[in-house]
Amino acid sequence: MTMTVQSDYSEKRPPLRRILQAFVDIRELTLIVLIAAIIIVMSNLNPYFFSFSNFRAVAVGMAPTAIIVIGMAILLASGGFDLSVGSVMALSSTVVAMLLLTGMPIPLAVILGLILGGVVGVVNGVLVTGLGINPLIATLGTMSIARGIALVLTEGFSVSSLPVSFAWIGKSDIGGFPVIVLLTILLVIAFDLAVRHTRFFRQVYFIGANEKAAMLSGIHVTRVRIILYALTGVLAALAGVLLASRLMSGTPTAGNGIELQVLAAAVIGGASLRGGEGTILGAFLGVVFVALINNTMTMQAVSIYWQMIVIGGVLVSAVALDMLIRSKRG
Amino acid sequence: MNATPIRDGEAAPPLIQLDAVAKSFGSNLVLDGVDFELRPGEVHALCGENGAGKSTCLGLLYGLHKPSDGKILCNGKEQRIENPSHAQSLGISCVFQELSLAGALSVAENIYAGRAPTRMGVVDWPELRRRAEALLAEFGLEIDVSMPVDSLPISSRQIVEIAKALSLNSRVLLLDEPTSALAPDEVDALFDVLRGLTRKGIGIVYVSHHMAEIFRISDRVTVLRDGRHISTLPATQTSQEQVVAEMIGGAHPGDVSGSRTVNGDKVVAVTGLSHPGEFEDISFSINAGEIVGMAGLMGARRSEIVRSIVGLVQGATGDVELHGQPVKFTSIRQAMRAGIGFVPEERKTEGLFLEQSLSDNLIAASLAEHTSMGLMRNGSIRAASRAAIDAFSVKASGLSKDVGALSGGNQQKIMLAKWLKRVPDLLIVEEPTKGVDVGAKFQIHTELLRRAAEGMAILVVSSDFPELVSLCSRILVVHEGRLMGDIPAEQASESVLLQMAAGTTLPAAASATPDSGAKL
Repeated sequence: MTMTVQSDYSEKRPPLRRILQAFVDIRELTLIVLIAAIIIVMSNLNPYFFSFSNFRAVAVGMAPTAIIVIGMAILLASGGFDLSVGSVMALSSTVVAMLLLTGMPIPLAVILGLILGGVVGVVNGVLVTGLGINPLIATLGTMSIARGIALVLTEGFSVSSLPVSFAWIGKSDIGGFPVIVLLTILLVIAFDLAVRHTRFFRQVYFIGANEKAAMLSGIHVTRVRIILYALTGVLAALAGVLLASRLMSGTPTAGNGIELQVLAAAVIGGASLRGGEGTILGAFLGVVFVALINNTMTMQAVSIYWQMIVIGGVLVSAVALDMLIRSKRG
Repeated sequence: MNATPIRDGEAAPPLIQLDAVAKSFGSNLVLDGVDFELRPGEVHALCGENGAGKSTCLGLLYGLHKPSDGKILCNGKEQRIENPSHAQSLGISCVFQELSLAGALSVAENIYAGRAPTRMGVVDWPELRRRAEALLAEFGLEIDVSMPVDSLPISSRQIVEIAKALSLNSRVLLLDEPTSALAPDEVDALFDVLRGLTRKGIGIVYVSHHMAEIFRISDRVTVLRDGRHISTLPATQTSQEQVVAEMIGGAHPGDVSGSRTVNGDKVVAVTGLSHPGEFEDISFSINAGEIVGMAGLMGARRSEIVRSIVGLVQGATGDVELHGQPVKFTSIRQAMRAGIGFVPEERKTEGLFLEQSLSDNLIAASLAEHTSMGLMRNGSIRAASRAAIDAFSVKASGLSKDVGALSGGNQQKIMLAKWLKRVPDLLIVEEPTKGVDVGAKFQIHTELLRRAAEGMAILVVSSDFPELVSLCSRILVVHEGRLMGDIPAEQASESVLLQMAAGTTLPAAASATPDSGAKL
């Protein structure tokens, strides 16, 4: 009475097909190949591209997006969504800057800024889970409110003349690498591993795949969701603090539109608005890919308007290709 | 008093007890003073028609609902069960009819959803796999537990679901139709596992429609009807017939049977319909006034065949003639215009607009009929809705009520009425009575027979073989995309159909084994 079940996965296939299949199944591999291709082609086209200073500029520029995409990718995997990240970034950058001007010690100001991001996240989480408001609408609301508060607090002006020592976080190097980039990479690795291997984050995929089934399995869906929104808020606030430190000013207009860049990158990296899938590494590679395309176009003197068109095209093609592969696989 | 096998079970308090529990949703009283108890080491079957309150009972015990009145006791202590994780901490686990698995995740991870063994918060993958393999081995299922659940056949997924409930090491196991997707030998394996559990003193609440299975596994049987407790008897002191009689109350609708006179013209003729990889060389015809069945097991491709005919699935080759004219539909709209109606299998996802009103649902396939100069005509919509409701005796408090709030049987009637009101020449119905109670089933069959008598040609795709035998004049049997036979209903019995559908090629010669039991 022993049954053995054969799956599509264990079928014997020719090696070439298996390799192709792996690329289809594992978005990270596809992106690594595409990123390598961009680097090889561009290195031959433009002598300034393959230089430490260019890569450094790209990495520093994309750091806020890469930090926020961690939270967004986890939220997407849980079937959630957050539009307020750009506003939270602005809010925390201005609030931390204002606190510093009062003479508050830097660590305390930074921690309060991060807590503020967490609070906005908890509000998002409660609106979505407790009141059952659609995440798109709920975070559209908090996006407007958080940005509004940042503008009211500063009357629309940047907050500058910050203490010089605050620049350490955003401007200094360790062993020739910018602190901001090292921190980003550290966070990406830590969260990628956590999402793959910790019990708490594994629950995210159950919730994203089938919320009701997760609830019936005894998972605290509401609690997990609120924590994920809070985490996303904290990460967005961290991005805001890093930006403030790099620019040495708190800017109420910072991060305008970053939510869409983050979403696009996460989806290119294998996340789905349906939930239940996606990895942090994939989302991060999505950010790198988009940043390199932008860098490429800037170096080749493509106008910023054309860059928007190209990024939109890349996003739609990535999703269309994914849908096509899914329908083929049935 | 009762002949329960466990002696000390009579001294120990019941594992769980419902004491005069009532539950209402809004103004709708679904449980009315129900008493129920589960003793250590017993399998206690809970029987009743759809809507009798079985699922609500399970929901109360698993923390999905709170009782409106009465008490729930666990081990003799009154408990207010807040949510499923609270129920689990009280030692209660549940297997639901609808599978609750996350398809993209591995088998092992699904079994220990949210409870994977960890070392300092990090999942211990080897230990997780080892435990999952050990659990599945009890069912004789040897699979790679790191495979995604999606890649398993349905029956294995159901076993994974059951293993998931067992992994909690609960004292109480609630099972809702656990065998609906299992093959006979898998049912045997499940029952062996369940008996092993009861020997350890675990109590099992077993909800099922399969009378034969209930009497194989249960120690006691409780019958509910319309939210009331009807009886609780040791299985040895009652019978399948008695339980069925108690479930449906005084009125026994009995089997409908049609006049089965076929004299109309040929409405549809299908010749050599094939779709590579799906089905091959399907040929049949249906005359006006005839109800023809299509029988098959899961994976027989019945749905793909009929959906190719109505233009929902593209790419099939072969000929379809409607009233002698060759047709090839590329959309359901074309098929509808040519006089075909198609009632899909999945009520909730394919058939109904659950958040729309009853009358909106009824007219969804015939909007043009109720429109003049671009405006909807409310008077004609109301009249048509009333007519449909009367024809099927739908129980609903008003035409503007959301369809989602109706019972499964009434939803099914609305879905059928929506297509019948177009008066198609050919009606194709998938699973017309899936998950509906005996009364609704009787009314649906009666209405189909009446329409056929008026000259409609009807093709009924069903997995309910007794239904096909009693309703149809001919039955097409499909096995893995091939037509195994086209047999008159008089020569068909449940066992003959089953053998043909399973691909055993003994048509009429099959012995008339007695039916394995009433299947409602």
